[in-house]
Amino acid sequence: MKSALTRFLELLKTGPISGFRLRTKLLLLALTTLALPWAGCQYAREMETVLRESEQQSLLAVTTTIAGSLRGRKELLFRADTLPGNGGDRDITPMVLTGAPLIDGRADDWDTDARSLVRAVGPGGDSLRLLAATHERWLYLALLVHDNRWIFDSSDINSLDPATLGDRVWLAFDDKRGGQQRLFFGSTGPGPVRARRIEALEYGRETAVTEPRIEGVWQRGADGWVLEIGVPLSMIGQHLGVLIDDRDRRGAPRSSFGTLETSDLRATGRLVAASPDLNEHLRQFAQPGVELRVASASGALLTRLEAPALPNDYTRMRGFLPRMYRLFFDGNIIPRSVSQAERERAAQELTVKAARGKASTTLVAGRYENSVIVAAAAPILSADGKQILGVIQLAQTADRWLTLRDRALTRLLNLTLFVTLFAVGAAFWFAGRMTLRISRLGAAAETALGREGSVTRSLPESEAQDELGDLSRSFSSLLGRLDEYTGYLRTLAGKLAHEIRTPLTIIRSSLENLESEAQAAKDGTPGGMGENAKVYIARAREGSERLGAILGAMGAATRVEEAITHSDRQRFDLAALVRTTVSAYGSAFPDRRFACDLPSETVEMNGAPDLIVQMLDKLVDNAVDFSTDGATISIRLRADDTHAEISVANPGPPLPAEASTRLFESLWQSRAEPDRRPHFGLGLYIVRLIAEFHGGSAQAENLEDHSGARFSVRLTR
Amino acid sequence: MKKTIAIVEDERAIRDNYAAAFAREGYAVRGYPNRREAMTAFAARLPDLAVIDISLEDEPEGGFELCRELRGLSPELPIIFLTARDSELDAVSGLRLGADDFLTKDLSLAHLIARVNALFRRVDALRRPPEEKQVIRRGALTLDGERMSVLWNNEVVLLSLTEFWIVYALTKHPGHVKNRQQLMDAANVVLDDNTITSHIKRIRRKFQAVDPAFDAVHTVYGMGYRWVE
Repeated sequence: MKSALTRFLELLKTGPISGFRLRTKLLLLALTTLALPWAGCQYAREMETVLRESEQQSLLAVTTTIAGSLRGRKELLFRADTLPGNGGDRDITPMVLTGAPLIDGRADDWDTDARSLVRAVGPGGDSLRLLAATHERWLYLALLVHDNRWIFDSSDINSLDPATLGDRVWLAFDDKRGGQQRLFFGSTGPGPVRARRIEALEYGRETAVTEPRIEGVWQRGADGWVLEIGVPLSMIGQHLGVLIDDRDRRGAPRSSFGTLETSDLRATGRLVAASPDLNEHLRQFAQPGVELRVASASGALLTRLEAPALPNDYTRMRGFLPRMYRLFFDGNIIPRSVSQAERERAAQELTVKAARGKASTTLVAGRYENSVIVAAAAPILSADGKQILGVIQLAQTADRWLTLRDRALTRLLNLTLFVTLFAVGAAFWFAGRMTLRISRLGAAAETALGREGSVTRSLPESEAQDELGDLSRSFSSLLGRLDEYTGYLRTLAGKLAHEIRTPLTIIRSSLENLESEAQAAKDGTPGGMGENAKVYIARAREGSERLGAILGAMGAATRVEEAITHSDRQRFDLAALVRTTVSAYGSAFPDRRFACDLPSETVEMNGAPDLIVQMLDKLVDNAVDFSTDGATISIRLRADDTHAEISVANPGPPLPAEASTRLFESLWQSRAEPDRRPHFGLGLYIVRLIAEFHGGSAQAENLEDHSGARFSVRLTR
Repeated sequence: MKKTIAIVEDERAIRDNYAAAFAREGYAVRGYPNRREAMTAFAARLPDLAVIDISLEDEPEGGFELCRELRGLSPELPIIFLTARDSELDAVSGLRLGADDFLTKDLSLAHLIARVNALFRRVDALRRPPEEKQVIRRGALTLDGERMSVLWNNEVVLLSLTEFWIVYALTKHPGHVKNRQQLMDAANVVLDDNTITSHIKRIRRKFQAVDPAFDAVHTVYGMGYRWVE
């Protein structure tokens, strides 16, 4: 079975990537640095989680500590030593408001929280809903009464005359000294009312005295009326209650309902609220950004300490890049922002959990998008630890982590982006340079071996210390060896000729001696060689002469090269030279005709006239060899400002296809039939040498109608 | 008394063949395979003519060294280089050392003997007073066919035997074009085109050494050379 790695490597080799250029590959490689921001993001999230968890734990620890400080301190928790839970349905547990309600006789700014609602039902379908709330040092009450008829007092002076009485509201509580306070509200019409207290005068007379500290507003409400009142908490002791005296008409007998004893107007329901010292106690634990709440075991909120403002509240990083980062990298680990009610519900759940005796912590979505609140709640136990007195809950915005995270992420991403750009740039530059170097080396390697076996030994990059340098040096040493070999091949003919010359001289001189001896024998002494022997000698001489000619031809190229290096340049008229030379060919080759096409003006050129003549000789020799008797050989000279071109054309067989480039190489010849003259294909090689000495080139082509071949030489003037 | 020819040649077969040919012509021949033996013999007695190969056994340039030493012993002794080496450079070096001729081994024995005879004739002629009938005068040129000496503006131009024969052939009929073959025949030599060109070049240079304005040898492209007065 193939491993995944093997398959991956195979894909690299054969997959689409294998077709890319080196530059593209390196670029792709550089792009993998883009994985860095992803990794950074993961790290930032991890960091955030750890931070948050530690924050949660520390908040829970703080919560537990505060709960411990309140352990068994009922008097600090509840005012007047009240303990919720045993007073029945007459207990009033006011809400804790964040702001003072406007006392205007309207209940629409009240939150109808079930826990702070006390209900009482009277005869005839009348009913009372009592809402209570505290803010700072005030108790606020809202009496929402369902009453089909609201009867006002008469506007008589004596408000205690039973005949003048309309609907009345009694407010009774025991004060701090244990005395009973009974106050009533009566009104001659809707509007602000004052609480009044009945005081006994001498002779059994009674009078109503206004209580200035308690104020209220009485208004008509839905299906009845609403009385909204504010009482300083300092006036109230342990118990508190209200009673409605409902009358169908002025002066009629009352029908009462409410939370007071109807007989003596005694308050039996307790006011369950936080002790005034609780806030003082809690304030010492106040920290910036932390909100404290204390609730009774039943879950009713006793007090709330607002969170002092954080010095560095969460501020969104602005700008294009941070926005992009958030778009790409913000996950949904933090719940979306939710409504105030939702947050309250989450806090409530925590409180309920703590009321069962279990300290816990949770995350709640905050006010801003992606902001978060850490909340922790712990039970406050009684001294013996068996009873749960209440619950303390702390909430803290976690926004500063967001700020931290955003800042870290932005910094990280900026850095990564910069690094990536740099890496891509560097990779691009490196790849470009590498490609350039390789292609330069490749081009040099391709042209290092010249067409005629000349070898360029020095390659680029040979100074480099890296693998390319090694490659270049390997190439160089390879080329060096190749050069030595081609050099050996090039000089082989010359060396061979030189080596063969000595034994050939021995043969020839021996033959000559033999001939002379035979001659002497014939002239003088009898018994010399027979006629047959002479024939053999003649044949041997002929053979040795042919061998000599072959040797001469083999050495010819070397001699020409030598002659060329010793040639002097001079200025001469090429047209005149060609004219006189061609005119001489007529006598040299009587079987051929020569047509000469020359420009009318002189063609001045700088060169070696001897060599030019030799070159023409070779070209004409070649043309003569490949044409038949009586053929016309055309010689043409053309010149422009910089170059002169001599071409020699002859009728005859066309050139073989591969010949046009190889014809001018040493030891190459294309002859259909062998003939008796030694040929080493040197003639055209010499033509090329001479053309190159004159800064030109030689080429061969078939005539347009394939009736023969044309050899042209281009020379620099 | 027979004239003595010394052959310094490390190839025994060639040496013996040459020796046989010279002996047939009536010369006394002594052969030496290397420079050391040759110099020992020459110190005792000089030959009348020396034929020297350039590379001798372990000395690739031994012939040059021998020529120099021999020329030191006798300024008049005819010396011929006969070698398998045919490079222009070797020829120039050999002639500069004072050799009378520089020949390659392609040369036939008959041609070689013709040269040897000619050189001996010259030695003899130098011992006699000059014969006026052998002297050709062409303007600034004075050419003595017997002594094989050339004067230009009465200054001696030192030519090798081959060069002398080429100049002789050219000046015999001034203005006539001599082609390469005719020049080779005159010089008793078989040479290729490049070697003829080299000889002509050397001849011009030697005349120009005594007279920078010398321009009597003209090239007729495709045909040959001629002497112009």
